[in-house]
Amino acid sequence: MAETYSLTLEIKRYDPDSRRSWTQTYNLEAGRILRFVDLFRKINDEQDPSLAWNSSCEHGQCGTCAVKVNGKPLLACELLVENAVAFFRTAKFRIEPLDVAPVVRDLVVDLEKAYEKLDRVKPYLIDPEPLPPGADCYAITPRELDFYVDATRCIGCFCCASACIAGRAGFLGPNAMLAAIVRVMDPREKAKKERLKIIYSDQGVARCHSARACSHVCPKEIDVAHFIALAKEGRFCQDGPKTGQTRRPND
Amino acid sequence: MKGSLKIASTLNCDVLIIGAGGAGLRCAVEILEKKPSTRVIAVTKVSHPQKSHTSTAQGGLAAVDPHDPADRTIYHMFDTWKGSDCTADQNVIKKIIEASWQEIVWLENRGLHFSRNEEGKLSKRTFGGHTLFFGEATAYRAVFEADRTGKGIVDTLWGEAVKRGVSFLNQSLAAELLFKDGRCVGCLIFKQKEGEFVRVLAKATVLATGGSGQVFRVTTNCRHNTGDGLALVLQAGLPVMDPEAVQFHPTGIVGPGILASEALRSEGGILRNKDLEPFMERYAPKMKDLAPRDLVARAIETEVRASRGILNPDHGIEHVWIDLRHLSDYIHDCKLREISGFFGKFANINPKNELCPVRPSNHYHMGGIPTTEWGEVQKNGDKIVPGLFALGECAAASFHGFNRLATNSILELITMGRFGGEKVLEYLKEAPEAIPDEAGTLTRARFAGYLAADGRDNIGQIRQALRAMMTEKVGVFRSESGIAEAVESLKELKARADKAGLSSRSLVMNQELIQRWELDNLLDCSMVIAAAALERRESRGAHFREDFPKRNDDYHYHTLAAMTEFGRVSFGRRPVDMSLYQARGENYEKFGLIERKY
Repeated sequence: MAETYSLTLEIKRYDPDSRRSWTQTYNLEAGRILRFVDLFRKINDEQDPSLAWNSSCEHGQCGTCAVKVNGKPLLACELLVENAVAFFRTAKFRIEPLDVAPVVRDLVVDLEKAYEKLDRVKPYLIDPEPLPPGADCYAITPRELDFYVDATRCIGCFCCASACIAGRAGFLGPNAMLAAIVRVMDPREKAKKERLKIIYSDQGVARCHSARACSHVCPKEIDVAHFIALAKEGRFCQDGPKTGQTRRPND
Repeated sequence: MKGSLKIASTLNCDVLIIGAGGAGLRCAVEILEKKPSTRVIAVTKVSHPQKSHTSTAQGGLAAVDPHDPADRTIYHMFDTWKGSDCTADQNVIKKIIEASWQEIVWLENRGLHFSRNEEGKLSKRTFGGHTLFFGEATAYRAVFEADRTGKGIVDTLWGEAVKRGVSFLNQSLAAELLFKDGRCVGCLIFKQKEGEFVRVLAKATVLATGGSGQVFRVTTNCRHNTGDGLALVLQAGLPVMDPEAVQFHPTGIVGPGILASEALRSEGGILRNKDLEPFMERYAPKMKDLAPRDLVARAIETEVRASRGILNPDHGIEHVWIDLRHLSDYIHDCKLREISGFFGKFANINPKNELCPVRPSNHYHMGGIPTTEWGEVQKNGDKIVPGLFALGECAAASFHGFNRLATNSILELITMGRFGGEKVLEYLKEAPEAIPDEAGTLTRARFAGYLAADGRDNIGQIRQALRAMMTEKVGVFRSESGIAEAVESLKELKARADKAGLSSRSLVMNQELIQRWELDNLLDCSMVIAAAALERRESRGAHFREDFPKRNDDYHYHTLAAMTEFGRVSFGRRPVDMSLYQARGENYEKFGLIERKY
């Protein structure tokens, strides 16, 4: 079982002090179930402590360690060496920061800038519906919740935004759309009109090319494009339907 | 070198919150809901509040639903008291548990996507140690959002914080608390992206920096949980409480350390050593694999120490197996889907036909910064530090005593977040304007020292050595000689760290510089954990001494540990609050010094 791989990591680097960027090649031996975050740590401990990369939970729940590996945006904490070799059919990997925000150093991007687009879609209940009389919580059946629960699983890794072909300048991005759409579908939100205004603004779903790259790369396997398609086909009418009245495409 | 160690600017606010996870954000939102004009600044070390460690909490949130016909708050109080090995504070237990359902409602009304039952009400689950009728029956007490309850909490609270205009300083460190005449007036903050120090002056400062799991090698904690809040108060000359109370979960997945929940064993999973022997039969002939957490953790560590573990060559970690191969497809595919998925994702193992590697994993720090039941930081057993509050895992009020029950941690975060917020508001009414002072020189000298050192060593390797040593000597098993060795090793590691030079002197997003700073915090935390573990010559809750395997109620008090210089730890005591017992109310006898037996 003591199998190891000889890997070559070509990592895109950037030094904010000199404003210089370059590609640095690291060769390392690594066991089969080491993850790419472990490889970065190994480089720090054994070869080059100056390589900067970001992570937090390192088990696929926070989205901090998203990078592009051979062009594919993914979570470095979930990519095992032997899976990477099998998937990309090579032991040579080009690793770059996500292109959703300015790079701070090496693989670290300024996520705060990327999140500004999420802030703009108001990631909270703008105006909660009044509670039913006598109840302390809203009643939402599992069936109702099922319509949008997948969209609540977004971890804000911005892989979808990175893969999106609609461009970054005009479009708020797939994950921002998802955050807005969740709250149109959530029966607790009263401010449906305000939400729809954002979704159908000139930075909203009209920018989407329906290429489905977002769904393809989502590490949480959320079908982001499905939710955007619902909005594009006008499933959420101006009066703000209850989620129970929205149907899935296959219903 | 780009950037300078000078203070680039000064920011003024009413409330400075350090740490933007569950506790910090709940506190911020409470303050702004009650008094929208309050100027709140929240600092987080991660790149965005959504990346906080709270978001990894899976299971649920314990709270007694007043509509539940069987469950009562007194049962939950009893379970918490018993679980704590009689070392939680009863005033805190009462306060948190009586407020718990209100907090669930608060979160639901603000958009948390709780899982629902067929009637559309909140679903509930059961967890170990939660019972009805004082241990007689299983309680279904935990509400949840699928397997991502913590993420739901962070998403909801972050949204509310954005809605109410909290200013965030992301990817920033809290470097040094600032005081004026014994009153906390803010904190010196180091902004990583800009590579500069800013002084944030605040009428009230709230510490909510989370845990210290990175002290240990295998941990469920995120990369940033380096005990910064504990180090911050220690460096300010204040004590921490019960640092020796550290919880280990018996089965972490080798590699990422993620929890492989008890469910694996309750569904029939069997622990095996390298000879494939089902070894739990030797340690707990009756309960076998279903024995309590601490017993299972010790059994696994004993097997590993007796060379009956298996070495994972990739991670260099010895482990035992959990065998799930005999379980039906239904159990694998439906009941254990998520956990089985973790083995697939992080170890490339199919639990249906392969053995899965597990090892006890550090999980939670019960100890922390001593506070009142309102989150006010205490100088000693009773006096408070005006203007300074601590909430969540970095704090010890103490709700968990020496052992925390499942689903009680995120409950503590949000309830204490709210109480802290209420108290901060009260304090703001009379708090004077924060006065600028010449403080902050200590830290800048410290950073200058990091940049000046030129020894050839590697910060990452020193950190790994520290973590391996703490796991071996101050982990699941502890003994007089082992801990004494640990204290000596820590001194050596500290000396190594002090000499280690950095490969880059830049201040901008210099990860190595940050890790150097974290290493000092890890060393400080490790030292107080070890020193307190040495002092407590008994076993209590998660603190297990091989040489003193029984609880000894001569030690029925909280440890207070302060450290004026590295390695020089002084001790005090805080009595355990037993107000429920002393009130002689209904069932008061359940709240005496009872045995922790399940």
